[in-house]
Amino acid sequence: MTNSVTKQPIFGNLWDNLFGFDRPDSRGQRIFRRVFEVFIGAACIWLAWYWGEYTLRIGDIVLELGLARYIDISFMHGNQLPIWNAWLISGLIVLGFLRIHRWVPLGRWVYMVAFILLLFQYASRFVLGEIPHSSNLAGMGLLGFALAEVIFRDRTAGGRFAIGFSYFFIGLGYTSAAVSKLVARGLTWPDGRHLWMWINEKAVDEVARSGTVELNWLQQFAMDHWWAATLFLAFGLITEALAWLVWFRRTRYVAMWAVMALHMGIWVTMDILFALSVYEILLLGLPWAVFIDRLWPERGLAAQ
Amino acid sequence: MSLTSLTNKARTTIWSVLFVYALTVAVNLGEFWPFSIYPMFSQAGNPWSRSIVREVSPQDSISWEVTPLADVPHLPYGVRSGGVDPIDLANFVSKTEVWDRDRVAALSLMLLAEPPKEPLRLMVYRVRARLTEEDSVAITATPYVLVGTDLEPDIRHLNPELRP
Repeated sequence: MTNSVTKQPIFGNLWDNLFGFDRPDSRGQRIFRRVFEVFIGAACIWLAWYWGEYTLRIGDIVLELGLARYIDISFMHGNQLPIWNAWLISGLIVLGFLRIHRWVPLGRWVYMVAFILLLFQYASRFVLGEIPHSSNLAGMGLLGFALAEVIFRDRTAGGRFAIGFSYFFIGLGYTSAAVSKLVARGLTWPDGRHLWMWINEKAVDEVARSGTVELNWLQQFAMDHWWAATLFLAFGLITEALAWLVWFRRTRYVAMWAVMALHMGIWVTMDILFALSVYEILLLGLPWAVFIDRLWPERGLAAQ
Repeated sequence: MSLTSLTNKARTTIWSVLFVYALTVAVNLGEFWPFSIYPMFSQAGNPWSRSIVREVSPQDSISWEVTPLADVPHLPYGVRSGGVDPIDLANFVSKTEVWDRDRVAALSLMLLAEPPKEPLRLMVYRVRARLTEEDSVAITATPYVLVGTDLEPDIRHLNPELRP
């Protein structure tokens, strides 16, 4: 008697893992792709308005970022252009979702144009010195759908590409964050005293925001116990360093939930909530398509 | 379209975006939204600088002395009430190298863009922190500039050490 067990590769082909072109389509996947597209579109519309309205109060440029390093972005200040831009971005995203290319030549480019206009919105808003990262995942999501519309004629393939694109850059982004920490501080990065500095820094931010502050029990515990603060930071660093595991189906959801735990930890200990990133991780961190297929199977597939 | 063809297209697109990603962050100090090397929190343990604001009564005497954070005078004021992001304020204060009249006016616009009905004077402090050798965090506040609904933006309202 021979043992004919075939060894399965642990990870398999990266591109199959990311895009799932090798998998049959299903109702759950179709619904999930559109839900994710709605989320990315809504997030970018919200950013366009949030940034646009804030830009109205900007009177001087302290630090140029991105596009503003190449062009004088001050033309967006002191007038209503940010609001007009927000209207334009919102309209284009809605048209993109409605698949305007069915009726208009070059309609496939509407998401891409919205993405480029959002670059201007960002560059005109963030000239005061702050360099935020909480909107990066949403921006990459819009770029993914923009590229999908331009490059893939097939709607199913385009949607799968856009989601795989997001997984790829989520994995890359968090891993890159770990590399940045190790390059800057080496293995001493998780020293608990560093967390003390950040807790105090965020406490001062809260004083600036609301006038008062009170540390929560976890912050106080970390301030009182160096080892606990060190453990928190070590967990964060290890999670980020292993974030590339979201590229592979077998490890994807565990890695996504570790990243979610990382964000919850940042929220509780440093009072920073990357809300859009957390919502996106919640969407991409569970097999929603499988849940939908189980609850609402397609005829034919159900009988198989 | 065949599976291989779809995969090739997707792979080529990812590599192309990665190339643009690397190029833009390399020539833009690691930041070209939404591309980033994500350096936040990498500078662990370094001294930091933030800002806070206090509401000043017209009768209050103004001191430009550095004080421990716990001893900062005047009434607490939250910039949230004026719709301001405290990180913007902190960066505006810490990254300004030359404090001229325009810069004071821009800070005044930021803090008082939604002016209250009552006259309001605000003192902006720069708060600095560092780790001490005794493993504690030392935090001090330096008064930087006074702005108000009843004050014309002027370098006279700056800490004397900052005046150009």
